[in-house]
Amino acid sequence: MESGVKKFDALVLGGGIAGLEAALNLAELNFSVAVVEKDASIGGKMIRLSKVFPTLDCASCITTPKMAAAAHHNNITLFTYCDLVSLSRNGRGLRAQIRQKPRYVDADKCIGCRQCEYACPVYVSDPEQGDFAARKAVYIPFSNAIPQIALIDTQNCMLCGKCEKVCPTGAVDYLQAPQDFTIESKTAVIATGFDVTPVENKPLYGAGKIPNVITALQMERLLAPHGPYNRVLRPSDGKLPDSVAYIQCAGSRDQTTGIPYCSRVCCMYAIKQAMLLSGSLPLADITIYYIDIRAFGKGYEQFYQNAAAMGIQFVKAKPVIVGSGEGGGVVLRYEAQEDGGRIVTAEHDLVVLSLGLVPGRAPGERAAAPTGPDGFIAVPRPRTAPAVTEVEGVFVAGTACGPKDIVDTIAEAGAAAMEASNYLRE
Amino acid sequence: MIMAGENEYGKEGAAGRRKVGVYVCHCGGNISDHVDVGEVCRRIEKIPGVTSVQNNVFMCSDPGQELIMKDIRSGAADRVVVASCAPNLHEATFRNAISRAGGNPYIYEHANIREQVSWVHHGAAATEKAIRLIAAAAAKAERLEPLTPIRLEALRHATVVGGGIAGLKAAIDLAKRGVEVAIIETSPFLGGRAAQLDRLAPSGESAAQVISELAGRVLNHKSITVHTCARIRTYQGYIGNFRIGIGREAPGGSGEWNESGKKDKPAPARGEFVPFAGVYAGEVLEIPEEFSIDTGIILLATGFKPYEPRRGEYGYKEFEGVVTLPEFIKMLALAGRGGDTLEIGGRQIKSVAMIHCVGSRMIPGIHEEDENGRLNEYCSRTCCTATLQTATTIRKTWPRTNVFEFYRDIRTYGRGQEELYAEAARASVMFLRFDPEEPPVVGKSEDNDGYALYARVKDKLTFGEEILAPVDLVVLSAGMEPNDVSDMVAMMKLPVGADRFLQEVHPKLRPVELSVAGILLAGTCQAPMDTGEACAAASAAAVKASAVLSRGYVELDPFVAEVDGDKCRGTGACVQACLKEGALELVETLDGGEKALRAQVNAAFCIGCGACAAVCPEGAINVKGWTLNQYEAMLDAIVSDDLFEEERPHATAG
Repeated sequence: MESGVKKFDALVLGGGIAGLEAALNLAELNFSVAVVEKDASIGGKMIRLSKVFPTLDCASCITTPKMAAAAHHNNITLFTYCDLVSLSRNGRGLRAQIRQKPRYVDADKCIGCRQCEYACPVYVSDPEQGDFAARKAVYIPFSNAIPQIALIDTQNCMLCGKCEKVCPTGAVDYLQAPQDFTIESKTAVIATGFDVTPVENKPLYGAGKIPNVITALQMERLLAPHGPYNRVLRPSDGKLPDSVAYIQCAGSRDQTTGIPYCSRVCCMYAIKQAMLLSGSLPLADITIYYIDIRAFGKGYEQFYQNAAAMGIQFVKAKPVIVGSGEGGGVVLRYEAQEDGGRIVTAEHDLVVLSLGLVPGRAPGERAAAPTGPDGFIAVPRPRTAPAVTEVEGVFVAGTACGPKDIVDTIAEAGAAAMEASNYLRE
Repeated sequence: MIMAGENEYGKEGAAGRRKVGVYVCHCGGNISDHVDVGEVCRRIEKIPGVTSVQNNVFMCSDPGQELIMKDIRSGAADRVVVASCAPNLHEATFRNAISRAGGNPYIYEHANIREQVSWVHHGAAATEKAIRLIAAAAAKAERLEPLTPIRLEALRHATVVGGGIAGLKAAIDLAKRGVEVAIIETSPFLGGRAAQLDRLAPSGESAAQVISELAGRVLNHKSITVHTCARIRTYQGYIGNFRIGIGREAPGGSGEWNESGKKDKPAPARGEFVPFAGVYAGEVLEIPEEFSIDTGIILLATGFKPYEPRRGEYGYKEFEGVVTLPEFIKMLALAGRGGDTLEIGGRQIKSVAMIHCVGSRMIPGIHEEDENGRLNEYCSRTCCTATLQTATTIRKTWPRTNVFEFYRDIRTYGRGQEELYAEAARASVMFLRFDPEEPPVVGKSEDNDGYALYARVKDKLTFGEEILAPVDLVVLSAGMEPNDVSDMVAMMKLPVGADRFLQEVHPKLRPVELSVAGILLAGTCQAPMDTGEACAAASAAAVKASAVLSRGYVELDPFVAEVDGDKCRGTGACVQACLKEGALELVETLDGGEKALRAQVNAAFCIGCGACAAVCPEGAINVKGWTLNQYEAMLDAIVSDDLFEEERPHATAG
């Protein structure tokens, strides 16, 4: 179904921190901006984090104001739960085909009261909480989501009709269909972010089958103040872990996974999580197995040294996961490089895989601009124009063009907005 | 007591007219894990004048802000208190929410119950302190008046301090947006430290080309004026309207200028790239001159200098053949190509040791502090890749020259950098890993092995084996230090971090701004960065500057001193106490037909410090939004036990 053409000065693909920052900068320069986000809420990966290094600010506290600012800016229009179907040249400008995915809830009618959510009898594992908690089949993605509009998970909905009955505005619409529309803009900023490396690809780390081996993003939820358990527990049995280990470069700097590059943020997020863990589990032993500690940003090395001084163990090794221990622990084996090279077997209550970063695209999905051999958007002049892609008038920011921390992402988003605004003026 | 308390709150007829809404944030669990939010709300509800008490998991989230907006729109509240984190994080967020709901943003008061309560206290004491702070904020809120921000015209002009990569990039970006730009550069050249590089890591672009491209655009842009051999001498004004005094001098006797041969050779042409100096920006002065520039924004891109190893540090300046990486890069660029072995100054270099983290990642108790007691504890970010690139170049150009790298961690974090590391390994660069406690030792070779020096280390990659590398040359990967800008730091009152780099307001919320409004920063004056990162930072700073300058005006918070003309007797005590030149003066006015001196505030200059209010014998001067009666109300509320009465045994009945 085609429903018209919407015109903007700038199109921002992705409503994570990079996209929001770029959009806000452009909007402040009085350009009209469309932000297209594939998820049901803006906020990206950052809003799902607990605290952020090296300041240990809570992630929500930094992200929510930017989300709210974007949502309320007169020059910004948000299109959430929308996929980019294609991006093509339209004279000097661009034309984007966008598909609004059906929420099965009328976005104009929904008032975010959550009555549907309370009425729904279906409990589903909640990926927003690292799959450690449940949500309903009709739900608002998370407490500080923007927009506060419910959607129905049709994979799990059993069409009992309860949500429709309780909805005070008659917003539930089981027959909603995808809607296609066109956005014409003069410029675009790609801020499509990242995903983490799939664990299934790595049998040496248990391929996702060994209990109590979790991903760092899951640990973010365990550490988040509004997380699934409100404290850090081992998922298999709810035990307070006495020993937690991190395996660094799990999926990065690893030819066998096809990801030879460094994912740039894992050292710091592991150290950050270790620090937060030593707050919430003061008696636990925390070990980080690493190849090189890459604490290169402003204040990062000091952060790392503080962590070491706090008693977090840094062990230079590349362990493999052998299996489960008797008490539900995870058994690792590694060569102790700093201890004569002997082979050590160690058991930890909980093991966190510091997964790497890959481009945030569905398999087979085409990128909005040419990519480099690493799959990230190519930047032909990285030294002097780090936000300029190979496509005229199309710019890039954040992890869409390579792994990057939030500080560097925000700088780059400013740069992308600057380049886009200058393109708009030309 | 109880009656008296109620009367306190009811005084001045405030209750009944003002409706205070109090909004308490859980901050996920940051606050509510330690403060009993339910209890807080229950008690705060009892305060006369408080008409709405709400709480939310994240008040800063959209649903949280909506609570406030709903109350403002419905008239349930006309004064707002949010109890949450420190005001520097979200005061602006909540003021904006009030504005969106049609309220005046200055009817807002913030109570910090996170940094000042839940992060430092626990249990009942935390809850009680939160209640007291909120009660104080509510008492003040009742006495807040709507205010109008001060609007000032902003000059469409920016001054970029520093003509390195970051400064050039920012200047180009700003000029493209139609802003007039002045670049203030201390040397006669543009390009900064990058000019001392040959190839830029990891992708190998020629530094000369990159600089020439940027500098060429700067020199040819009609909106950009370049002032070389120039320094900022004086500074005054405020965002949108700064006046800076510039001094230009004949080029100093230091390095680059002499090398480019001013005395013996004709000066280079304007726009010409002079190797290891930069792009010559045109005519230099014989006679010093001074002038001033009126500008709306000051963007600092003052850059870095390489760490200068101490005499004797890894044999530096003690043994011939120990050099820093920048020195070595220059030697390599000048070395002849051809032959299997690197030759420098007619000497065959069969083997090179490169030592990482020299002047970076220093650890108290292990590394020696400098004469000022300083240690560079930070990582300099760029040296690993620069070292690897140099090592790889050597191995590929002169295959019979061996390279040993002594490192702690290889930090090839960026795009294309890990690949460079792999390439170095494939090119048979030898890697030896050392512990900071046991750094490599450089010494003069005593054997007659044909090598002048050796570097010895306990190599952690081979389980602590002692390895001695005979070498002809030792290269120290010197880290970055910020350029000395202490004159500007003092003049402009700029914040500097413990690492001595300039300190941004917040690394994520306001990464390119300094705490002085209208002064931005970009590049390596903030932290070590490579050229691409410095360009991104420069553009990010430029986009913020553009937003201010293209609006044409700036709005400042109206928290400035205000003189009550009826009370002022012109004692001048306030003018004496005033900390900001130009903010307060005595002017002659007519008072009942007679000439009299009265204090007058220049709102643009006033920083709202309150020094004047503290000294005025007549109580004739107040800071708007922070008046003495507001303070008194806060104090009364904070010491009052009214909200806790029920817990205490009633000694008497009244």
